[in-house]
Amino acid sequence: MSEIAAGGVRPAWQSTAGAGADARRAAPDARRLLQLALAGLWLLDGVLQYQAFMFSKGFSDMLAGTASGNPGVVARPISWDATLVGHHLAALNAVFATVQLLLGIGIAWRPTVRVALAASVAWSLGVWWFGEGLGMVLTGDVNPVSGAPGAVILYALLAVLLWPSDRGSPARPAPFVAARAVGTPVARALWLVLWLSLAYFALLPANRAPQALHDMIAGMTDGEPGWLAALDRGAASLVAHQGLAASIVLAIALVVVAVGVYRPAPAARGTLVLAIVVAAVFWVFGQAFGAIMTGGATDPNSAPLLALLALAYWPARAVAPAPAYTGPARAEEGMAAS
Amino acid sequence: MIPSWILDIFAAIMLVVAAVSAARLVAARPWQHRTRPAALADIDVAHLLMAIAMAGTLAPGLRTLPDGAWEVIFAVMTAWFGYRVARDAKVSGVRALAGGHCAPHLLHAGAMLYMFVAVSAPAAHGSGGMGAMGGGVGGMGTLELPFLALLFALALVGYCIWDLDQVSGPGTSGHYSLAVARVAPPSPVLAGVGASARPGVAAASGTASAPAAAVPIAEPAGTAQVPPASGPADGTGVLAPWVATGCRIAMGVTMAFMLVIMI
Repeated sequence: MSEIAAGGVRPAWQSTAGAGADARRAAPDARRLLQLALAGLWLLDGVLQYQAFMFSKGFSDMLAGTASGNPGVVARPISWDATLVGHHLAALNAVFATVQLLLGIGIAWRPTVRVALAASVAWSLGVWWFGEGLGMVLTGDVNPVSGAPGAVILYALLAVLLWPSDRGSPARPAPFVAARAVGTPVARALWLVLWLSLAYFALLPANRAPQALHDMIAGMTDGEPGWLAALDRGAASLVAHQGLAASIVLAIALVVVAVGVYRPAPAARGTLVLAIVVAAVFWVFGQAFGAIMTGGATDPNSAPLLALLALAYWPARAVAPAPAYTGPARAEEGMAAS
Repeated sequence: MIPSWILDIFAAIMLVVAAVSAARLVAARPWQHRTRPAALADIDVAHLLMAIAMAGTLAPGLRTLPDGAWEVIFAVMTAWFGYRVARDAKVSGVRALAGGHCAPHLLHAGAMLYMFVAVSAPAAHGSGGMGAMGGGVGGMGTLELPFLALLFALALVGYCIWDLDQVSGPGTSGHYSLAVARVAPPSPVLAGVGASARPGVAAASGTASAPAAAVPIAEPAGTAQVPPASGPADGTGVLAPWVATGCRIAMGVTMAFMLVIMI
């Protein structure tokens, strides 16, 4: 955790045998664990970006495709970027992959967590525009089940919420991790906006069509392993011709999740569990595990990030600025005894 | 197709890891130990073998051992670390699986075994050895059971992140610190593991650790007493714990990379 890193204690990598007499161990707190999860996702993204597909024309075509349906002011830079990437595919994609690897490593490496989180916000915003066409939210043809408003914007949101600073005090600790950096009202507002926007997307006309959800889920089966394709086909058949009903049910669930963080802790926990369940359903049936097994995924899609966000809002007994970890009592006692 | 220079870079990193692991073995001289020489050397031997195998897989120009030989090696390695994890689990329960000393190495060995066993046709049509994996996606084969590859990749990434956090954090206990005289791993199996050149020193090899891995010396009855630190030379230079951790992080990232591009 950056607080610890900044606290003057020598990191392990700088230590030698003599310095090792300090038996304190860095025990990550809840926010640090979430930062590590975010780091892991960035590292995974970096690895995925090295896939063979990303070095093919298919990748630049995929980038160019996100311009479609967007306003000109958004679409033109996307097209320019896609052309540039197409001309320097190997070099630029290697840079993209390496940047994401470094973001993951940087967040996990305590002394660089702030720099890496800040860089991840900038990178995410750039990718959201140039790589995802602003999540296609301006096109009117997005679905939260398939990943709207774009996974990468959720990386930026998480980086902000998990920023290693504290607005609270020991007397008035933040009620959940996400509130530590930005304060409780802002954190709740961000959650509300996100999940209400998902509910809005679920009710878009394109998603209310009788076969909309069916077609979307069935379309995920291409290139997937047989068992997953069968699973998705089964789910698709369940919602066949049920587009309107499915959209309404989904929107209600998303609204319940959105307002859940304003409820008392027990109710909030219930809605956060619902959020995680919804994210799991999205990931398995709507996103096919981010389509990672098709060899063409750039990230695991939005569902894991939604689940991570839900954990960041999990009510805590007390989330106060934590002092440096001083190690397990057993170890301290044992050392004193010896 | 992945540019060959990218694969070559990863292969070069693995050769560096192999060289460092070999240097650690030479510096630690585990063969001079009468007790548990395997437990002293197994981590670095595993790093050395896995790094060579991965370098050979990534760079078709490198000829190492036939695939069958690697399968046997990694099967034995998996069994060995499986045994050690089971031993750890008797002492520390599920924590041995969640983040214990040998669990990451079991994962690495298992992932390597999976890669060699599950690689698809391109390997079979090659000329034998690691170069036989050339010809598929990105110069490599493709893997059967891709979901298993995904699970392995996720677990590897998780351990890499955990290692990075721990090795960059404050304090230097457990597996991140050699020769912490009064702090020893909790089991006789763990007590001898590491890169220390001295027998019995509470050494660690810079490997991942569960938070509970570092405990005061309170070994089960019948185990050897851990003597004090043997001197400032322990845990420095190539034997520094972060060196082995760095090797494992590099291997974990490279292994995850290989698994993903072979899906």
